[in-house]
Amino acid sequence: MSYDKDSHKIFDFIQNWARKHSIWVLAYGTGCGAIEIPPTMTSRYDAERLGVRGAATPRQADVLLITGYLTTKTLKRVIRVYEQMQDPKYVIGFGSCTINGGMYYDSYNTIKVLDKYLPVDVYINGCMPRPEAVLAGFAKLQQLIAEGKANGAQKYKENLEWYRENQKRISPHWVMPEYNW
Amino acid sequence: MQKLKANLIEHINSGFRDAVAKDYPNENRLDFYVNKQCIPSILTYAKDRLGYIHLSHIAIVDWLEEGEFELIYIIWSPEEKIKMFVRTRVERENPVMPNIDMIWRQANTYEREFREMYGIQFQGLEAPEEFILEDWQGPPPMRRDFDTEEYANETFFHRPGREDAGDVREEIIKRSREEIPDFAKKYSR
Ligand code: SF4
Repeated sequence: MSYDKDSHKIFDFIQNWARKHSIWVLAYGTGCGAIEIPPTMTSRYDAERLGVRGAATPRQADVLLITGYLTTKTLKRVIRVYEQMQDPKYVIGFGSCTINGGMYYDSYNTIKVLDKYLPVDVYINGCMPRPEAVLAGFAKLQQLIAEGKANGAQKYKENLEWYRENQKRISPHWVMPEYNW
Repeated sequence: MQKLKANLIEHINSGFRDAVAKDYPNENRLDFYVNKQCIPSILTYAKDRLGYIHLSHIAIVDWLEEGEFELIYIIWSPEEKIKMFVRTRVERENPVMPNIDMIWRQANTYEREFREMYGIQFQGLEAPEEFILEDWQGPPPMRRDFDTEEYANETFFHRPGREDAGDVREEIIKRSREEIPDFAKKYSR
């Protein structure tokens, strides 16, 4: 098969179609918003019909849900988790705490703007967002994947120094591996 | 119970002359105001001789206006069923306290927390420097003169857009015809 432009397109289409129907979410709840995940997954809203389901380890997961405020301590672990995930990988920022600090905007140990530390593909606002909003967020992510626009991981790879600099401002004693994927 | 309390005051005062007792009638509670140097000896005495074997809490009050911290050791006797509050004051600038973790080991955790959150040093406390906060770069965060909002604005990125967030309390109070207490007014934006 020759890789001309058209076959690339077809290949991408199939790849994105497959990806968008199997969004596996890492079960890692960070803030209070994690409490909205069980109703989203269980029978009433049943996210699994959209291909959204939980994954046990970062290596198996496609989506990292940041469900709310991130303390500076958790941020370190989340970065580590994100870097362990394999491509394709996406980040959903969940709740107003990840967008502008939410009600913890003046807290001394929670970060305020998540996308300075990790590349966020979709934000879901609300404090906390209801399962409908969560599903809308997933639908948006699926749409972005289908269009090939959910390229946060690419952005992270290309701008790694910038992200690292921001991350190290929060944790000056960086003890994690410089990079691995 | 009053008899037990009177007995207790007498016992403590015979050993520690400058301990000032404060009684709360009809409550199973007794306060003692002591010098900070007496803390280990008075607690040892209460534990070994008077049966106050249980340290239920160590509390702290930041008296910013008076420039002092107040530490309150709350101990309990399962036999007499009386709570004893041993209170002491220490200056806010470079506070140093005697260490009591050889009397009750669990005091170690409290002391580590006070060291990290209030900057109080305990003589001879053996514990790693870091407790809950990792990579902390600012002043002790639980002191009342620590401005968390200013610190957060300096340390973390800020996304504009919440400047026009209004104070809705006035409106709520108008609708429900409540009164704002005076102490709350100064927190209004
Ligand atoms: S946005 Fe609201 S619900 Fe979500 S973590 Fe922040 S405070 Fe909690």
